[in-house]
Amino acid sequence: MKKISIDNIKDNMVLAKDIIGTSGSVLLAKGTVLNASIGKRLKNWGVLFVTVEGEDEDIKSKGENVLSPEEVRKNLEEKFADVISNEIMKKIFSAVYKFKIKHNI
Amino acid sequence: MVKDPNIILKSLSNISTIPTLPSVLEKINRLLNNPQTSAEEIGKVITTDQALAAKVLKLVNSAFYGFPGKIGTITHAVVILGFTTIKNIILTASIFDVFTKKTSHGFSFDLEKFWLHSIACGAASQCIAKHIGFNEKEECFVAGLIHDVGKIILCNYLSSEFELVLDNIKKKNCLFYESEKEILGLTHEQIGGIITEKWNLPKNLQDAVKKHHSIFQNAEFPTTAGIVHAADILVRAMDYGNGGDNKLPQMSQIVWKNLGLESLDLIAVLEDINEEVEKANVFMQLI
Repeated sequence: MKKISIDNIKDNMVLAKDIIGTSGSVLLAKGTVLNASIGKRLKNWGVLFVTVEGEDEDIKSKGENVLSPEEVRKNLEEKFADVISNEIMKKIFSAVYKFKIKHNI
Repeated sequence: MVKDPNIILKSLSNISTIPTLPSVLEKINRLLNNPQTSAEEIGKVITTDQALAAKVLKLVNSAFYGFPGKIGTITHAVVILGFTTIKNIILTASIFDVFTKKTSHGFSFDLEKFWLHSIACGAASQCIAKHIGFNEKEECFVAGLIHDVGKIILCNYLSSEFELVLDNIKKKNCLFYESEKEILGLTHEQIGGIITEKWNLPKNLQDAVKKHHSIFQNAEFPTTAGIVHAADILVRAMDYGNGGDNKLPQMSQIVWKNLGLESLDLIAVLEDINEEVEKANVFMQLI
């Protein structure tokens, strides 16, 4: 499974996760085979990213925007520098760190 | 070099070019207060402002509202989404209309990142409201969206002061409001407060603008402002957009406790925020 920008949708990619609207309705179901015209429609709906089947390899091999866990931690530490002694901020730090590592951002 | 804050506030309230919200908004508010009003009447009033009508249709047909590409007329939108949602959509579209006119200025303030931060804060406020069972979710979205409106006023109408604030942040790597206090003797909360009063916005929205950094010493804080306070800190930590600084304010302990945030599964909230921010990205297309 990999998350891609809708600008990078290529024909025959398979949607790996439902696209859900705020009201909870499914806009496009998991398993749908994507193509350029669906991509265009998604753009009109305001969808920016989709999750498709396949390995995450191209993101990782290019190393684009993917920070190592150490870099993520360092950036966060910088941002939290003045408040990290606070117990609540410690909890937020740890949750955001886990979140960022999981999503590669 | 602290300026006299009173002079700044006075000069702001005298600026005649400070934007007003479209008059159609006031008409709609009046209609919505009357239980006899029909969806058709509301639709008619909105379509008198064609630019606004187009924005409303664009928003209601986006994934954010869950009826992509299906709503053809404003009246249909009112029927399906209901009066409260429509009112919030119109308010949102109007605010974007007023503030996103491209202004040319030389300094290093990234308006696109600013709006991304604001939109993300709106989405996060809505998520937090959902997780703590607070009913006014949509109001929370609008409150988060406009919480930093004072910064835009500063940027557009007091640009030399704004530049000093930004330079000071660069020098000291401090919070935006710390820099404002030092340079101007007041903050974007007070500046934003002037305009939300002028616009006669509902009190909960005014509170969120005026108090998202500074009310939380006692237990009686407005819920919407508390939610926006928390949402602002979370989206800063998650790096959605940028409001002009690169530090985090401290989460108010009272807000954290009294809103019941301490008992939430924080990771689940962050995941939810991430999804909502993606959907809310349609608002970036209004800029």
